Amino acid sequence: MAWRWITAVVGGYGFACAAAMLIARVLPAGDPIARVEATGWPMVLSFLVYAGIALWSLHEARLARVSAVVWGGALVMAVLLKLLGVRP
Amino acid sequence: MSEAHTGPQRALRQTMAWAHGWLGLIAGWILFTMFLTGTAAYFRPEITQWMQPEIRATAAAPAEAASSAVRYLTRTGADDLQWYIYLPDARTVATRVFRVPAKPDPKARGGELDLDPVSGTPLTARETRGGEHFYRFHFQLQLPHPWGRWLAGLCAMAMLGAIISGVITHKRIFADFFTLRWNKGQRSWLDAHNVSAVLGLPYHAMITYTGLITLVTMYMPWPVMMNYAKPAQFAQTAYGTPDDVPASGVRRPLVAIAPLVRDAEQRLGGPATRVIVQNPGDSAARVTVALTTRGAISARTPTVTYDGATGRFVARSGDPASAIQTAGVMLGLHLAQYASTGLRWAYFVLGLTGAAMVGTGLLLWTAKRRKPGAAPFFGLIVAERLNIAVIAAFPASMAAYLLANRLIPADMAGRAEAEVSAMFWTWGLLALVQLGVPARRAWTILFGLAAALWAGIPIVNALTTARWFLPSLLDGDMLFLAFDLACLAIGIGFAAAARVSARPAPKTPGRSRRSLEPAHA
Repeated sequence: MAWRWITAVVGGYGFACAAAMLIARVLPAGDPIARVEATGWPMVLSFLVYAGIALWSLHEARLARVSAVVWGGALVMAVLLKLLGVRP
Repeated sequence: MSEAHTGPQRALRQTMAWAHGWLGLIAGWILFTMFLTGTAAYFRPEITQWMQPEIRATAAAPAEAASSAVRYLTRTGADDLQWYIYLPDARTVATRVFRVPAKPDPKARGGELDLDPVSGTPLTARETRGGEHFYRFHFQLQLPHPWGRWLAGLCAMAMLGAIISGVITHKRIFADFFTLRWNKGQRSWLDAHNVSAVLGLPYHAMITYTGLITLVTMYMPWPVMMNYAKPAQFAQTAYGTPDDVPASGVRRPLVAIAPLVRDAEQRLGGPATRVIVQNPGDSAARVTVALTTRGAISARTPTVTYDGATGRFVARSGDPASAIQTAGVMLGLHLAQYASTGLRWAYFVLGLTGAAMVGTGLLLWTAKRRKPGAAPFFGLIVAERLNIAVIAAFPASMAAYLLANRLIPADMAGRAEAEVSAMFWTWGLLALVQLGVPARRAWTILFGLAAALWAGIPIVNALTTARWFLPSLLDGDMLFLAFDLACLAIGIGFAAAARVSARPAPKTPGRSRRSLEPAHA
């Protein structure tokens, strides 16, 4: 039960952060305003992602699956972010 | 409630009810204090005015207040790096100035000062943190930076999770509007929890999400790192702030400020609320004037910037990107600075329904687990005692803070900190002392004490100041009048709570019927 809650609270935050960063990075940003939009919207909406993934972590019965999706998903997104780097 | 985890096939409603119960319990005690102090903070400037009854300044137009403040600041802080001037409006009587000196003086107490808007001379009043204390506690929880803000954010997230899971748990959200069965033990707490939660649901969801947005740059700054090599670049493009100009070192007096404020008000189409002077007295001085938030929901209002040495117009902040505008509106909805008096009171009442929702939820958690005749288990005792310490003792300590303002001598050194200490000592002592009394008696005693403290505020105010009920009524001093009446009403509310809690325990409703209904919490 402790691992489930750690995954939901800590892992869920990591997942939401990585998802927000990835979306911010891949959204088109042709001009300075579009770049602000691509950065700002993922920030504003990230808490919904966090709440969603955390509640799902508490709902899904198979803990292995929860761990794989939350921690694995965050890790995969982190690798992608590393490869993409800061937007030039 | 670990039975929710036995089978792989679990209904969504059941796991959400389980998550709702635990999220609410763990975060509930802190959330209750956040709801109460946040609700009080809707009246932050009014509470500050009440806590400095000596100040009776004459109102002045923004341009006049700006020029009197600059007169004072030029005399006392000509070498400063920056001046922040917060102009008075309908809700504040004084001009508040904040100086950023060139050489920080470690001995000087914070550079914040209240000035008379007409004469520009400092106002002397009792030292107090005023409404600012409730406002700060609401999101910093009196913990060292940044831990209080992180903890408050975590609790807000738990609240968001509890709202979503609570809505999923509910089958009959509409019917619950009309269901309140009084005096039926646990059933009544569930009904009360549902009524307070469902009636205020749009408000609760809004205030929780917008609360997270107020500190979004702290909780979720990471997307900026992916799009900007220099994060400061984001803020500059997002908020349209002109580039900082370094001081030239050549002295040039500042132009008259009043015409700039009037020009800015014309360009922005409303009264000015804030003037920022960078490098005052330098040839590279900059004056930025911001529009009041009154009349627009967004807390981010446009600004106009001038050259301080010549008075030349430099820039007007543009319309920001839609994401930033959205965040600004969310911030505005949360802070409610746009709200007129009537809407502000609606916010206040809704904030109290939020506290009621959290409080009844906490009581429901213990009521559900209390078995008649059986000895309570340890966790239940802890939860029950924490409920008493938070729901009954914390509001009493808020009254103690306001009473301390009237009872601590006005000229005592360090009295602002003493007022805050009075609140936390009261809270801590009451939380400990109640352990010596049976739980049911402790509820009654602490509710009774809270009633006495709140109802005592207008009385102590009458004994210690000249601005008590009758003069306020005769002078039409609505603020002091409303403050007295609100404290009295809160006191009556707690007296009623004490009476109800003193009644003998209600008969437990038929357990068989209840067990057929879906678990709600």
